Amino acid sequence: MDTQPIVIERTFNAPVAAVWKAITDKDEMKSWYFDLAEFKAEKGFMFQFSGGPDDGPQYLHLCEVTEVIPNKKLTYSWRYDGYPGNSFVTFELFEKEENTLLRLTHTGLESFPADNKDFAKNNFVKGWTDIIHTSLRKHLER
Amino acid sequence: MRRDVFQAIADPTRREIIQLVARQSLNLNTVADNFNISRLAISKHIKILSECGLISIRQQGRERYCEAQLSTLNEVAAWVDQYKTFWNKKLDALALHLNKKTSVNKKRSPKKN
Repeated sequence: MDTQPIVIERTFNAPVAAVWKAITDKDEMKSWYFDLAEFKAEKGFMFQFSGGPDDGPQYLHLCEVTEVIPNKKLTYSWRYDGYPGNSFVTFELFEKEENTLLRLTHTGLESFPADNKDFAKNNFVKGWTDIIHTSLRKHLER
Repeated sequence: MRRDVFQAIADPTRREIIQLVARQSLNLNTVADNFNISRLAISKHIKILSECGLISIRQQGRERYCEAQLSTLNEVAAWVDQYKTFWNKKLDALALHLNKKTSVNKKRSPKKN
């Protein structure tokens, strides 16, 4: 049974400082992640954004930065407004010659309510990542 | 008290019980025989599993049989998979973003570091 955290590793053809900037600079985050009103890589900084399926309810995501080691590690909490549960997303960067290995860890997903149909069954995350996927593919095929 | 699939599988004994009854339906005593803890404790675990929808209890004569309801478990896998998909897509987008930045930098000015 899979209650292990999600761990995804990717190597990017870019120096650590560039990847760090991409994951912490609000203007850069806008182009690949979420359009945030503000972002600061500082412990205790709180931010929020809306996400959900195109034709369904939007969920307000509430996050708080819990750990920052510049160019190495960034952790923030990730929960949903009005629902119990809390999870943590960590980005870790490792220098690999000219490239950067990014390790993303998402823990605590099992703390979210499985009895909420939107969380458990309506694939709300899948729904809106498909949008990203489609727009991304369009971009690549241009 | 929270009763859902995630709570059900949070306990190692309950995970073992699910694995046992997933192979075949068993009566409560047979389940308990597989463990070194009291029947009462096993009964409590089975009650939780049943409340969480992972096990159904069927009365057959004087015996009560436990049957696994494995479709409920798919919720866990589906839930985690959604996030895997989500993060993979996001990291695809990040790679694309970094590639764009790098090529722009190379065109405009040599890298400083």
